Amino acid sequence: MTLIDEEVLRDALRDAATECEVSDLAKATILEIADVEEAAPRRRFVPDAVREPGRARTLLAVAAVLVLVTAIAVPLLRGESPSPANRSATPTTVHGGVAFTVTPSAPSEGALAPSPEKALSGTGLAVSTSQKIESTGTVDLTVARGRVESTFTKLTALATQLRGLVSSTEANSHNRSSGSFASGTIVLQVPEPSFARFVAEVEHVGRATSVITSSNDVTGQYVDLQARIAALDASLAQYLKIMTRATTISGILAVQNQINTIQTEIEQDQGQLKVLANETTYASLTVNVTEAEQHHASTKRSGFGAAWHDSLNGFVAGFEWLVRLAGPAFFGLLMLGALYEIVKYGRRAIRRRRI
Amino acid sequence: MTDLAAWLDEGYPQSVRTAYLILGNRLDAEDAVQEAFLRAWKFRDALAKESSFKPWLYRVVVNACNSKLREEIPHRDRRDNAEGLERLVTDDTSSRVALSHDVRRALGDLPVHLRVVIVLRYYADLSEREIAVAISRKPGTVKSRLNEARRRLALHPALRDGSRSQPSAVEETG
Repeated sequence: MTLIDEEVLRDALRDAATECEVSDLAKATILEIADVEEAAPRRRFVPDAVREPGRARTLLAVAAVLVLVTAIAVPLLRGESPSPANRSATPTTVHGGVAFTVTPSAPSEGALAPSPEKALSGTGLAVSTSQKIESTGTVDLTVARGRVESTFTKLTALATQLRGLVSSTEANSHNRSSGSFASGTIVLQVPEPSFARFVAEVEHVGRATSVITSSNDVTGQYVDLQARIAALDASLAQYLKIMTRATTISGILAVQNQINTIQTEIEQDQGQLKVLANETTYASLTVNVTEAEQHHASTKRSGFGAAWHDSLNGFVAGFEWLVRLAGPAFFGLLMLGALYEIVKYGRRAIRRRRI
Repeated sequence: MTDLAAWLDEGYPQSVRTAYLILGNRLDAEDAVQEAFLRAWKFRDALAKESSFKPWLYRVVVNACNSKLREEIPHRDRRDNAEGLERLVTDDTSSRVALSHDVRRALGDLPVHLRVVIVLRYYADLSEREIAVAISRKPGTVKSRLNEARRRLALHPALRDGSRSQPSAVEETG
């Protein structure tokens, strides 16, 4: 076999490497950046315990997998789907009757003014440090024929009384010749403290067939974002200080890269903070208004007709069952795939962090 | 920071040149080595579990080079990488320099996994066992890669025709 000579290769590589001049300034830059990173708060995505060898790491990984599997399996076994309503605090829905949901963390009614606010230093955002509740809800109302528009007017008036506003409306007419709407949806926003009172009043505008409300306490998330922004601001200040001292192009590029990353993170966090602030100031209620249906006299079926009708119904019911089953099954497969990817990624991350 | 300063004094020049041979560009090499030293310093606790500093540091350097090759360099305009190649085509007629250029050109044409083992073995002077630690592979794999890399270098047109390099650059084995 033909191979290149080892000594020749060694000499040639040494000669080639001498073409690369090494600058001492780059070393100084590394020392300065390391100094800043030591001073800045560590933003680790994997806790220290994960990097610990042996049993601790194994236990942690097993616990993480168990939690994930439980989180997936329990809703599947209970036949629940992870809809946004189910994810929130205490949602309840009953079909065919009226369902009420208690909103335990909602503030007391009647307090229309928002909570006292104070400015967060450095971010330029006015944020509240009091409890932050995010509330949403849906009410299905049935009204008499030709009353959809007037119901919309009543709902708008109710929201306005509570210093709320109409976010969007949509009306559908199944029979345009009649000149009236048969159904519609209106989305209303009211100040969060008035939400429970507003829902109670909306229920009496028509016949409420379904009421779903949910509340989510996002105070922790809010405070975390504030703290994160403050820490990032501190890091940014340090990097800007380094930038004034950087002399080499590679050093300047490295520091600029860090600055860009931090600025992007700050902007993202500030955006999230604004969204949270908006969502917690106003609660959103979607009201679906439907005209009462006319009752048709049912024709009594018997004999072959009834059997054929039952057979068709059975077929449809079976098909519906299959479709219902397909959703959770697909979701389960998706979660297993995601779990596999997470474990694979985690193992790779752990391997990398060990070096 | 005194330990990091000592690390830099001990390993920085050779690390930069190793990265330069792997990446083919000085600025990329400086960036990768800076990233590697900062990463190594951040996770210096892991060093306590390693038997030797040198292969451990080279593992971090090689990982940083791989990241650079995987994430940044492929997306860059090819002209940006032309610096290294331009410098190869010089009028220097000295056979030693010519051979060095030919070897570098051939090295640049090797796949990264073979280039890394060649550079670590014949420039950084790591043993096969140390290279195995540095690239997280078995010593047998390292040996096989080294042989394959040397075979490919010997077959590379820049080194095979002997027009610029020494004829003795290639050896025949059983």
